[in-house]
Amino acid sequence: MPILAGEPLLLAAGLSAGYGKIAVLHGVDLKVDAGEVVALLGPNGAGKTTLLRALSGLLPWTGSLRFAGRELAGATPRDTVKAGLAHVIEGHRVFTQLTVLDNLLLAAYDLPRGDRAVRVAEVLELFPEIAAKNHESAASLSGGQQQILAVAQGLVRRPRLLMLDEPSAGLSPVLVDRVLVVVQRLRDSGTAVLLVEQLIQKALALADRVYALARGSIVLEAETSEPDLPLRLEQAYLPIAGRLPHIGASLPPG
Amino acid sequence: MDTPAAQWRVPEVRLLGSTLTAGAAMPFLALLVVGIVFPLFGGGYWGLIATRACVYWVLVSGLNLIVGFAGQIAIGWVALLTLGAYTTSVLAAGNAMPALPPFAALAIAAVAGGLFGLIIGLPALRLRTFYFAITTLGFATIVTQVALAWQSVTGGGVGVAGPIFPQPFSSQWGFYYLCFGAAAICTWMTANVAASRFGRALTAIRDAEVAAEASGISKPGLLTTVFVFSGALAAVAGGLFASLQSYITPDAFTLDLSVLFFIAILIGGRGSILGPLLGTILLTVLPEFAAPLVAWSTFLYAVLLLVIVLAVPGGIAELLDFKNRRPLESHRAIVPRPELLHRLVGTAPDAGALTLERVALNFGGVRAIDGLDLEIRSGQVHGLIGPNGSGKTTTLNVISGYYAQQSGSVRLNGAALPVLARHRRAHVRIARTFQTPRIVGSASVLQNVMIGGTIDGRATFAEAMLSLPRHRRDEAMLHDAAMLALATVGLERLASVRADRLQHSELRFIEIARALMLRPAFLLLDEPAAGLSAEEIGRLGALLVAIARAGTGLLVVEHHPDLIFDICHHITVLNLGKMLAAGTPAEIRSHREVVNAYLGG
Amino acid sequence: MVESIVSTGVAIGCVYALIGITYNVMFSASRVFSFTAGTLGMLGGVLGALFIGHMGVPVALGFLLVLVAGAVFGIVTEIVAVRPVLRSLDQHLYVLSTLALALIVQQFTAIEWGTDARPFPRLFDLARGAFDQQFWLPMLACAAVIVGLELLYRYTLVGRAFLAIAEDTYAARALGLPERRLRMASYALAGAIGALAGFAGGEMLLAFFGNAPLLTFYGFVPVALGGMGSNRGAVVAGLLLGLFQQASNFLVGGIFASVAVFSVFIIVLLVRPEGLAGTSLQRRV
Repeated sequence: MPILAGEPLLLAAGLSAGYGKIAVLHGVDLKVDAGEVVALLGPNGAGKTTLLRALSGLLPWTGSLRFAGRELAGATPRDTVKAGLAHVIEGHRVFTQLTVLDNLLLAAYDLPRGDRAVRVAEVLELFPEIAAKNHESAASLSGGQQQILAVAQGLVRRPRLLMLDEPSAGLSPVLVDRVLVVVQRLRDSGTAVLLVEQLIQKALALADRVYALARGSIVLEAETSEPDLPLRLEQAYLPIAGRLPHIGASLPPG
Repeated sequence: MDTPAAQWRVPEVRLLGSTLTAGAAMPFLALLVVGIVFPLFGGGYWGLIATRACVYWVLVSGLNLIVGFAGQIAIGWVALLTLGAYTTSVLAAGNAMPALPPFAALAIAAVAGGLFGLIIGLPALRLRTFYFAITTLGFATIVTQVALAWQSVTGGGVGVAGPIFPQPFSSQWGFYYLCFGAAAICTWMTANVAASRFGRALTAIRDAEVAAEASGISKPGLLTTVFVFSGALAAVAGGLFASLQSYITPDAFTLDLSVLFFIAILIGGRGSILGPLLGTILLTVLPEFAAPLVAWSTFLYAVLLLVIVLAVPGGIAELLDFKNRRPLESHRAIVPRPELLHRLVGTAPDAGALTLERVALNFGGVRAIDGLDLEIRSGQVHGLIGPNGSGKTTTLNVISGYYAQQSGSVRLNGAALPVLARHRRAHVRIARTFQTPRIVGSASVLQNVMIGGTIDGRATFAEAMLSLPRHRRDEAMLHDAAMLALATVGLERLASVRADRLQHSELRFIEIARALMLRPAFLLLDEPAAGLSAEEIGRLGALLVAIARAGTGLLVVEHHPDLIFDICHHITVLNLGKMLAAGTPAEIRSHREVVNAYLGG
Repeated sequence: MVESIVSTGVAIGCVYALIGITYNVMFSASRVFSFTAGTLGMLGGVLGALFIGHMGVPVALGFLLVLVAGAVFGIVTEIVAVRPVLRSLDQHLYVLSTLALALIVQQFTAIEWGTDARPFPRLFDLARGAFDQQFWLPMLACAAVIVGLELLYRYTLVGRAFLAIAEDTYAARALGLPERRLRMASYALAGAIGALAGFAGGEMLLAFFGNAPLLTFYGFVPVALGGMGSNRGAVVAGLLLGLFQQASNFLVGGIFASVAVFSVFIIVLLVRPEGLAGTSLQRRV
């Protein structure tokens, strides 16, 4: 569905979500424009994974969410994938009982049979290292290769926005760069990317804009070209001691 | 003495030694009166039905502790009814040996029932829920087949006559009063158990097993006791049943009966005595109201069960729980009162230390903890921080005995702690809280906190069952200590509210109150600030600092830098299972590598 | 005599194995066991006798109807007894809801069909022999199901989607696989397999409502011993169970055979709760 000129590809306003009684996100506002790379940073427990799960429909949420000109209220992950939003979840979870090829075919499950083979072939061209292991079981891949397979799965449907949840986790520096090169290429080809990452420097180098999430809310939004970004990020996460109410002179020294 | 706890006591009634609130006692008293005067109004046929309901309740009251309280899905309990019926009948009739007086036969049946209850129940300690349910089904089938085959003793398909109890119990109404008396005594005994630390411990095993273990509750011991008790009751019910039927054959003990017992408890609601009692009466009486219903009775029971499971999982007990329908105030603040701590934990214990020396642990191929040294001293707050996957929670689990380290040792004041002995930690006063609050949702807040003090009770199961003085002293002591703990964390106003109605942040503080019941020498907290507002985190911090000042050594595993930097004397930073840095908050805060690891630079 | 023990033992073992596979397919799709597996076996026999024996429907059509009925009951299980409780925090409600559903169907059958075991029609007009159709039908059914499942998992995308859901439901959902539809399809498949088991074993077991608790127990033994979720384990354990049961029947008589089977079952489970082929699960705190 075409979006109006100037309207962002993804627009979340007042997004709140949690797990049962535990509220994690408190009214998050976020947008991603077509073709840009946005980094989502923040300390552990801030809610970054929760936010991605809400966006892709894995978790129920309240607030408002528009993608590609459509309201996403009540959308399931199947709906969001069809709409062009792909979510590569954390932990390079691929189906180890199936072959690499099967893993990719499953990503194309909803496509007509003819298209499936084409799309899968397309994606394999991008990732020669797993194309070589086409017919081997995913269990035989290394952690890094599995992560690349997971990213490949996300790309099979030619998404307009690809969301990556800590793709570098557990990968060697070489493989991390490999994955990030892919992100670069995606941006060049017009696919938007929302990247959750722990490696701040690398993420900043790649992204156009950055959001910082702490304690369930956005605490910083900036273009990556702005100065002092690392310092501002640090201040957003690690407060100066003694800021809490009710604790005063009774504190231990230091 | 006007202690804070005494102010909150609700008006109570003493009923044969049990302490019940006035409201809770009423239904039981009403049933007691109805039961006593029943012969004046009911005819012969209804007398039989009433007697049968009493006999069934003798069995169900015991089974209730297993299914409703301990949460074990024991479907084939009719096996014990069969055993009790045949044992009593055969011994009273003299088939195998010289005839015994019926009451003696009944007593022997009770012993046999206890033994077999233990045998059937033991698999529950090792097997998963569904597996255990299937094995009890198997037992039921086996027992019936043995009864059929062992012709010389049981009369096989022909059957055997039931015992006839001596005067005055041989008449219809005499026998009715015998069964009614048994039912009343069983109600009293199981109600006592329910209101004791044993009953609460059973519900803890059912709904929050890891928390039960951390409170020192030993599942094997408790389940064994309950299976023996329940088996004995079921066998007694069997003896009475045989007498009621006058003549028993194996096909009187169908799986349908087992289903009736089981469903009566679930319709009544788990964790209740009144609910299953009403459920048993309902299911016994229901088919009598219309002739066609008799054939369809098991069908109806099953439909009822399905409806209950899908719509009202709490059963009749939930429907009758008017107290918990009242709305709670919407903006509740948690205001701890740390000044009450000295009354709760007494004088500070002698200074000591909990140390880890070169602890290492692998999970699969991953080095979760890689040679860690840590020292937690009494009276101090020690923070343990690090990125996801750094091994913080794993370390806490090793200290509290849920994981076994592969090398290195965990020492308390120099003495090594046994590995994997998670239910022994409470005995050495090491308490903990959990990443996600583990509570018994269907119990009240007060009952949840009282679970924390289970190991301080002195009365045995038998004393609790008979509501002897030592049990009553235990209950008073635990009640007062729990109210004080709740007042300390600022939640005493919610003491009688069902725990699952509370907000997440309140549940976190309840876990702390429960842990304080142990008067812990060391308290381990797993991400206590997760999900709390800034205001609540501040209050939590003040409370934790006060707990440390009272002499407890604290280990706080956290993500939230706010809390850690404000309250800790010492901080250890983990990364990938190794210690990255250790020192005072000021040192850590300015340590470049720590900042980078935290931010992921 | 040995011949008879072997042919009966293998045949009944195949029925048990198929019920075990029914349990496993449902388990793979939802991570819960359902009490309705044994009831499906019972329905296969009763409905087969009803359609073919009672109503005179041709064998092939009757067979198809039985499979469809099984699939329908499988879907009903998923919708009514499994889906609503998967969302709940109380992990063990599924035991109660599937038990209730199984009992409802069993009791209805007892009332409408009767509580006596009624004969199952002879499916093929062949003379009775030593290797009679009542023995090779279950074996054929078991072989067909094993081969069929293998083909399904290896050559169809749906089959591979089943495997994906079984391995990692969350990742499958995130990928956009229609998780709910696939689970219903798995339950339909399981239902058909269960009904097939009862149909193929109809002549041996007769059309009897009491087969339900029997198959619930004996059909679970292959799962418990062979490892949960493992179809191969279920087949091996099922065959061993059938042979052991028939041998015990012959040596010590029916009642003690049951006791023997049950004792072995309990002892194995207590020693190795995860079964002979399964892997031990790790504790989560």
